Amino acid sequence: MDINTTTSPCSHSRLFWQGTLAMIPLSIAVLPWGLLAGSFAIDVGLTPFEGQAMSAILFAGSAQLVAMGMIKTGAGLTTMLLTTFFITSRHFLYSVSMRDKISPLPLRWRLSLGFLLTDELFAVCGHQSEKQFNRWYALGAGFSFYFFWNAATLAGIVAGSYIPSLNELGLEFAVAATFIAIVVPTIKNSPVLVSVISALILSVTLTYFSVEGSLMIASIGGMVAGYLTETLRGKRG
Amino acid sequence: MIFISILAMTALVFLSRYLFLEPKLPLRLNTQTQRLLSYSSPAVLTAIWAPIVFMPDNELSLFGSNPYLWAALTAALIAWKTKNVLLTTIISMLVFLVLNLWVFSA
Repeated sequence: MDINTTTSPCSHSRLFWQGTLAMIPLSIAVLPWGLLAGSFAIDVGLTPFEGQAMSAILFAGSAQLVAMGMIKTGAGLTTMLLTTFFITSRHFLYSVSMRDKISPLPLRWRLSLGFLLTDELFAVCGHQSEKQFNRWYALGAGFSFYFFWNAATLAGIVAGSYIPSLNELGLEFAVAATFIAIVVPTIKNSPVLVSVISALILSVTLTYFSVEGSLMIASIGGMVAGYLTETLRGKRG
Repeated sequence: MIFISILAMTALVFLSRYLFLEPKLPLRLNTQTQRLLSYSSPAVLTAIWAPIVFMPDNELSLFGSNPYLWAALTAALIAWKTKNVLLTTIISMLVFLVLNLWVFSA
């Protein structure tokens, strides 16, 4: 895929839709979680407005669900913020990885793409080279995902507890499938392979032992393993 | 009070996403850091998908009766052969649903 940065308005919308299309599997996979976020908000005693605001301005699936659980148990603001920090810390990694691609853009682009920088947007754009990266494509991917998440939250708020448990269908497999589909073609040399295998073993082991922050530890472990392999081999190839 | 909590969390989450995208932040990534970061995408994504596949329902499952495992294997094969994300997702999702709802449902 070769995408130029200087493009006409017509190709802007084409790129926007290409980004939307690339995000579709993840947008569909997130629907049950959006429904859950909406119905859970009402369940813990938030007003419909507060429930929708969580998805509209906080826009962080796992942090929202955990925060609502804590509102239900009456946790204090400090506890909530500490937990949120723990859950959201992986975004620091995403923004530092995307720095070369996004920081040269104008402020409104940085703010928009920064706001939309979820696991899913990083999945779609994180592996792109600076040449492949396109702001309109990223905006289409990020905004369409935002739209689906909020529409699902609204449906969850309206339907409340009447919705059947979609989670039992196992839609979270769509997340795994998409991530596998993105990762596998990037395994072009042994350092990347070592990185992936290390992250795999670490994350499964740490999750098995319910270690807090397993995602961050496994991610950084995988990155370091790849980097060390590359350094030991002297040259990438 | 709830709304203030939501706003405070929003500020924190946005900061974590935006901080390093700010060009005024005095941070120059040297070659080593950039090389390390080049592994972030495969490492983070794998750290997210691996527990979904190997630990459905929060229990380790390395057996042939785990539909996630077979469907993930299908996805890896198709992705390797075609490099097409959408096609890979659709076919492996169908494989997964058939295995999950019919084959291993008993």
